[in-house]
Amino acid sequence: MKRIFLALLRRILGGFALLLGASFIIYMTVRAAPGDAIDAISPMGTPPEVKAQLMAEFGLDRGPLAGYGVWALRSLCGDFGDSLVFAPGERVMAVALPAFGRTLLLAGGALLVCLCFALLWAACNPGGSRRSQLLGASLYGVTSAPSFVIAVAFAQAVNELVYRLVDARGFVTPSWYPIPIACSSMMPYLFAGITLILSDGLLIDLVNYLRSELQALRRSPFIAAIRAKGARVTGHLLKNMVVPILSAYASRLPVVLGGVVIVEYVFTLDGAGYVLLEASKNRDFPMVVGLSVLFTALVILVNIISDVVKGWLDAREVAHGG
Amino acid sequence: MRFRGNNQKQSSSEASGVKMNRFLSLVLLVCALFGLSAPASAQIFRYPEDTRPASLLPFFAEDMSSVRMVELIFESLVFINKRGDVEGGLATGWEVAPDKQSIRFTLREGVQWHDGKPFTAEDVAFTVHAAQDPQTIFNAKGKYKFITEVQVEGRFSIRFKFDKPINEPERRFTFKIIPKHAFSGTAISRKDAFSRKPIGTGVYMVSKYSLRSVSLQIFPNYWGQAKITGILMQHTPDKSAQINLLQYSGTKSGVQAVVFVPPKNIPLFENSDSVVLEPYHTVSWWYMAYNHNNPSLANRAVREALAYAINREELLEANLGRGDVLSGPFTESSPFYNFEVEPRAYDEQRAAQILESAGYKLQNGIRQKGKEKLEFRFVLDKELASNQSLFLGIQAQLKKIGVSVKPQYVDHARYRELVFSQDNFDLTLNVWSFEEVEDVYPLFHSKGVMNFIHYRNAEVDKLLDQAKGMHDYKQYKEAMKRLHAMLDKDLPYFFLWSLDLYSGISKQVKNVFIQPYYYFTSFKEWELNP
Repeated sequence: MKRIFLALLRRILGGFALLLGASFIIYMTVRAAPGDAIDAISPMGTPPEVKAQLMAEFGLDRGPLAGYGVWALRSLCGDFGDSLVFAPGERVMAVALPAFGRTLLLAGGALLVCLCFALLWAACNPGGSRRSQLLGASLYGVTSAPSFVIAVAFAQAVNELVYRLVDARGFVTPSWYPIPIACSSMMPYLFAGITLILSDGLLIDLVNYLRSELQALRRSPFIAAIRAKGARVTGHLLKNMVVPILSAYASRLPVVLGGVVIVEYVFTLDGAGYVLLEASKNRDFPMVVGLSVLFTALVILVNIISDVVKGWLDAREVAHGG
Repeated sequence: MRFRGNNQKQSSSEASGVKMNRFLSLVLLVCALFGLSAPASAQIFRYPEDTRPASLLPFFAEDMSSVRMVELIFESLVFINKRGDVEGGLATGWEVAPDKQSIRFTLREGVQWHDGKPFTAEDVAFTVHAAQDPQTIFNAKGKYKFITEVQVEGRFSIRFKFDKPINEPERRFTFKIIPKHAFSGTAISRKDAFSRKPIGTGVYMVSKYSLRSVSLQIFPNYWGQAKITGILMQHTPDKSAQINLLQYSGTKSGVQAVVFVPPKNIPLFENSDSVVLEPYHTVSWWYMAYNHNNPSLANRAVREALAYAINREELLEANLGRGDVLSGPFTESSPFYNFEVEPRAYDEQRAAQILESAGYKLQNGIRQKGKEKLEFRFVLDKELASNQSLFLGIQAQLKKIGVSVKPQYVDHARYRELVFSQDNFDLTLNVWSFEEVEDVYPLFHSKGVMNFIHYRNAEVDKLLDQAKGMHDYKQYKEAMKRLHAMLDKDLPYFFLWSLDLYSGISKQVKNVFIQPYYYFTSFKEWELNP
């Protein structure tokens, strides 16, 4: 128990240092990006004195290092500053947290569903046979397109289907139709989730990974011993698959979060991806840094949780310094 | 047999009909299960915008998306109606002093702000004081400079004094009025929460302001009348998605308007049963700017050669559709456009001759004079639609006379920094837009705040200074026409064209009149049929 606690403490401290380093890099990158919030909002020919006044009002008159120092100290106290352009005057976290929550629900949920489906697929199609190779190839073909292609095609297909079957026939149209003008319900999130599952080769990657883990497990001596005793192996297999599943979840989450940005843009969802894109476009650096830190913190947190659970389930993980 | 065959066909179509009905029932059941049915009676006007409204506080509404939304939420003392005449908004009447140095407005009584508080002359005075407060930093501050004194003469009467006599001064009072009680002082910050929770006197009030959309509902205590009960603006940056949505406008859903239909999509709606293309002409013109700090471009011969080498008609038709090719800094509908100055016709040979006589000889495909090569860096804003294809056309045409241009595509913020702040460009392509009539003083006077090309011409400066001091409109108009001729000759910019713009409007919407700049000025009269 003490060993687990120490390992956890080490990971938390390491995670904090990583977060600080990441925030420094993000802050410096955003500040070093050409153009600033003033250039983004001020129309052509804004007099230099007006720009200077705006710089002071937006806190851009400090140099990047001094600016980061002030930002880091304030954010340690939970103050991530105010948005400059995206939602002028609004606290960064008041905008970022709800948007981030929606994105997390979307990305985390899609990845979870994807993992369950991949596990089922891997269990039902152990590989080797011609049928399973054919199925694997079809799955690869269907799910390997980039997320923006799938998102656009999916939105178009759903709109056309609703138009022909519901709207044109005079039935009461669903409130989410047509995509993307109305996003007042959960349905566009559902469509976006399906898009994430079916794009960027995520599903086939997980199927391949889980299949190889499952095969290795099936061939292991302790499963052979259980089989020799005539007992059922399903429970043992599932219990021993928890660690690979957790690893897969923790390692694929950043990939899905990357894909979410463009999917949210197509489905006009008001998640963190959309806010991040708009804020970057307008050089709203407190918002960009605040959101990027949230993304980084999430990835670190998921990895720590995954390691703790793995350590709890399998003491060898802690012994090996996991 | 035939009869039997028909029967078979009928029965099979019945069977497929039953299947379809089952499928539809299933779809509807799913919709019902998710609680997703839309209320059939809601009369919501939906339209997409390319950009998010940056601020709904009128001073800071600087992007067109904000300008359009502010037009629905706020009102001004007067506005310019369909016929171009001044009509009372929050003012019911006005009297101009005989010396034209002051105006007294009588305000509308019984007007309420969206929070229920009464509108008075104090609000009008506060708006001007806030705009003139040095701590309120915004770009259109110059619009309020002419007012030297504000006198509240009663609860519904206010007088303004000016720095000099002004013809038709009422035309200058189209700025939006904001409520005094919503602010703690006249210094208003861009970060004020009012920019997201605005309180106006307009016909619509904000019911929901979310990250990507703004919903407006009709203000029940509005002094006038409007026919459409609600508006939904959704940020939809993808233009092709906007066009798709407009195609669904024939039925109950979809969007009822797309503010600007790109030329390539116009054929889609030309014979449409559900969408009508409404033309409108903005006071805006495109230009190719020369950086006069570049020694080659400071040479008038080089500027003229570039102007002759670019075929504007061809570029316009191929990339942007319909419009007027211009010879000066005014649109053809402007009172200042000088029709005696003909736009330069495309003449590649003449362009080459001009360069030849100016001493630029062709060497390895590029013209040069000594060490001075005609190679330019063309900075382009990625956000300006059609920029890429236009540039490729220009590049190919200039190559024919031995002028090389290299593109630098940058995002909007970077573009502003490079072109307007750092003076780090040779050539660029852009558009100037004006509210009503063109005020070109800031663009071409050597001390003009928008003279980012560093153009200096003593004669132009003298004429602009003279025109600024003129009180007689006819005299001013003649001066602007003279300026037009001078600028055509000297070519500070290469004036390109003004476009015929089209809005796509659903045929469900009636009584449509589009105000070219504010768009929704007459929205109260628009009707939305089910």
